[in-house]
Amino acid sequence: MNFRRIKAVAFKEWRETVRDRIFLLLAFLLPVLWMLVFGYGLVLDVEHIPLVVVDRDHSALSRDYLYRFTESRYFDFKGSLTSETEADAWLLSGKARAVIVVPEKFGERLLAGQPAHVQTLIDGTFPLRTDITKGYVLAINSALSGELLADYVARTRGLSREQAKTLVQPIRLEVRYLYNEEVRSAWSIVPALIMFSLMLAPPLLTALGIVREKETGSIYNIYSSTVSKIEFLTGKLTPYVAISFVNALLLWLLATLWFQVPFKGSFGLFLLSSLIFVLTSTGIGLLVSLMVSTQVAALIITMVLCTLPTILFSGLIVPVSSLSPGAQVQAHLFPGMYYTNIVRGTFLKGVGMNVLWADMLALALYAALLRLVAYRLFTKRPRS
Amino acid sequence: MIVSGVPRSKRAAIWWGRLMVMTRKELIQLFRDVPIVVFLIYSFTLSVYISGNGLKSQLHNANISVYDADHSFSSRDLIHKFQPPFFSFAGELSSSNEGQYRLDRGTVSAVLDIPPRFHEQLAAGEPTAVQLLVDTTNSPQGLSAASYAARIVAQFGQEASLARFGGSAEASQNLPVIVSDHRVWYNPDQNETWFESISHLLRMITIFAMLLPATALVREKERGTIEQLLVSPLTPLLIMLPKVLAMTVVILCAMAVALFGVMQPIFGVPIRGNLVLLFSLTALFVFTTAGMGLFAATITKNQSQVGLLTLLLIAPMLMLSGVTSPMEAMPPWVQYLMTLSPLRYFIDVVYGILLKGNGLKELWGHVLAMGLLGGSLFGFGMWRFRRQFQ
Repeated sequence: MNFRRIKAVAFKEWRETVRDRIFLLLAFLLPVLWMLVFGYGLVLDVEHIPLVVVDRDHSALSRDYLYRFTESRYFDFKGSLTSETEADAWLLSGKARAVIVVPEKFGERLLAGQPAHVQTLIDGTFPLRTDITKGYVLAINSALSGELLADYVARTRGLSREQAKTLVQPIRLEVRYLYNEEVRSAWSIVPALIMFSLMLAPPLLTALGIVREKETGSIYNIYSSTVSKIEFLTGKLTPYVAISFVNALLLWLLATLWFQVPFKGSFGLFLLSSLIFVLTSTGIGLLVSLMVSTQVAALIITMVLCTLPTILFSGLIVPVSSLSPGAQVQAHLFPGMYYTNIVRGTFLKGVGMNVLWADMLALALYAALLRLVAYRLFTKRPRS
Repeated sequence: MIVSGVPRSKRAAIWWGRLMVMTRKELIQLFRDVPIVVFLIYSFTLSVYISGNGLKSQLHNANISVYDADHSFSSRDLIHKFQPPFFSFAGELSSSNEGQYRLDRGTVSAVLDIPPRFHEQLAAGEPTAVQLLVDTTNSPQGLSAASYAARIVAQFGQEASLARFGGSAEASQNLPVIVSDHRVWYNPDQNETWFESISHLLRMITIFAMLLPATALVREKERGTIEQLLVSPLTPLLIMLPKVLAMTVVILCAMAVALFGVMQPIFGVPIRGNLVLLFSLTALFVFTTAGMGLFAATITKNQSQVGLLTLLLIAPMLMLSGVTSPMEAMPPWVQYLMTLSPLRYFIDVVYGILLKGNGLKELWGHVLAMGLLGGSLFGFGMWRFRRQFQ
């Protein structure tokens, strides 16, 4: 290995990248723009569910009950209907995702100490939304039930309201939210977005950079030169690793200064693991570039290969523990998950090497393995 | 340009003939690239299967550990209520510090802390409290876990106090409580494979529809073969349109494979609406998305640039259009921005046709929006293209 030759290859690659102004601009703009758009825009909480109600009772109690829905930030009240068949049309067109039907004699029955059935129709196309909607409805129902029950018990047993409340609800659940005490969506999204950006952009930069040479044929200059395989690969990757590492820093600054996400861990640890991660993700691009011969193929394959596991299997949205066993295996085969643990760990949890060493080791092995395979696959004497 | 004097019908025949020839050229060029073909097949078969099978967007198996300082009948009873599918019991802790340790390591996502004298207080009718520590590094999941836990504890408490009064299940029939009857429509069993496999299909269609025509056009620009096409008797429309047409044909076939080869037979995804409508609207969506890709292609010079630019555009489309999380909760500016994303409309179209049995009556607004968007993008791309080369 000759250091001067690596430097020459890296320098040539850097020149080429810098000369393509749009490419260079996009390479730095991409992660920053994504973080701004997703940091503000990607809200994972389910709120503002469009709701219509059918009130067949028209009593004071039914109005009070429905008022709890229309006032809740979880629901967006879209209107009051007269019949269920009308509600069908609203659900069918997607203008409403849930319908509450209050039956006749709702108020009367409850005041008389009898249970009342309330029907909820929910659009089931999006299971997450359905599930959470159900939860909200149950929560509002049980809140009102609890009050009614306490009133009832107080009346019939001659207890004070406080006593009746204890009787009805003897156990209180005290919830303490850890690591993200105010449960801000942005705090859990923004650190993970560093993973998102560094998982998607660097492989593409790398793959395009190498396949470009193959497609235009300028790689024959390398084949016929004295540059060895390892020198070429190292030099070629250096500018992309550097760009991506600078992006990691920019994203860190954006997360801590702009989004004000607390960074509780060690900065050195973050830097080191980001470097390892960047080496891994550029390694994926390298591997793809060695298997294809056109930039179109490189583009499609890196995008398909990286986008979907990054969105689905890396803990960005769905925690890995919630995946099915088969998908968990996939998640472990993909580097994104380990880095998500590291960024969330260093940002929100403030844990150190003693917790994160396994994730770092996995990434380092991954990076090494990718380079080893790439080294084996790359040949200066292509058969064609 | 076509020589005047040739009869109209003949001119049309020539135009169609050229369109077919060019479309064929694009198809040949695409299928020569073996890695792309391999990936196309993978994306619409195996990968649909994997994501349909593996993903759960609801709270599932949140690992919960318990520090039980009471060790009584009641506390064990409460612990027993934390069951799959929402929770999965990850063992008892010997001290409350251990809970923090496990949360730090991420091996559990919640810790339940039951105080001493829990059973005593409950039996005496005194108020008592249990504590739940929730990891909120993933905020929606943390909130879900807390709300499920609250429901479990509330129900447990109510049952316990009823039991204390010798009340049976019948006694509770005569209490003023609101009973919820839920009816879930369109997917009554909440089969998540339906949702996940459909949204995966949508993501794949979007990626291919945007990338393939865009790169096909830029490649011609980069290699200079576009000059050859321009000196041939082809209008700019006849250069751009076949690229879209070829990809539309490929994507429709791929979708048919995914739908009839994986989603329907394996996952039992229903097809309640009209298939012809579904495929025609898919063609419209591909046209619209391809318009976006071609637009990106006309403002860039080489494939590297177009690659980054399409990636820049495609990520927000995939994340914010409503396949990953519902649209309603997004801030208003995202909802406005996403009116520019064809995927935002296509989602409602596909779920509507497959699961709800929607027809044009419900979907015409979306169809119109996609058509307008596609028409203007394509028109703008054409205008740029003409200006660059003529």
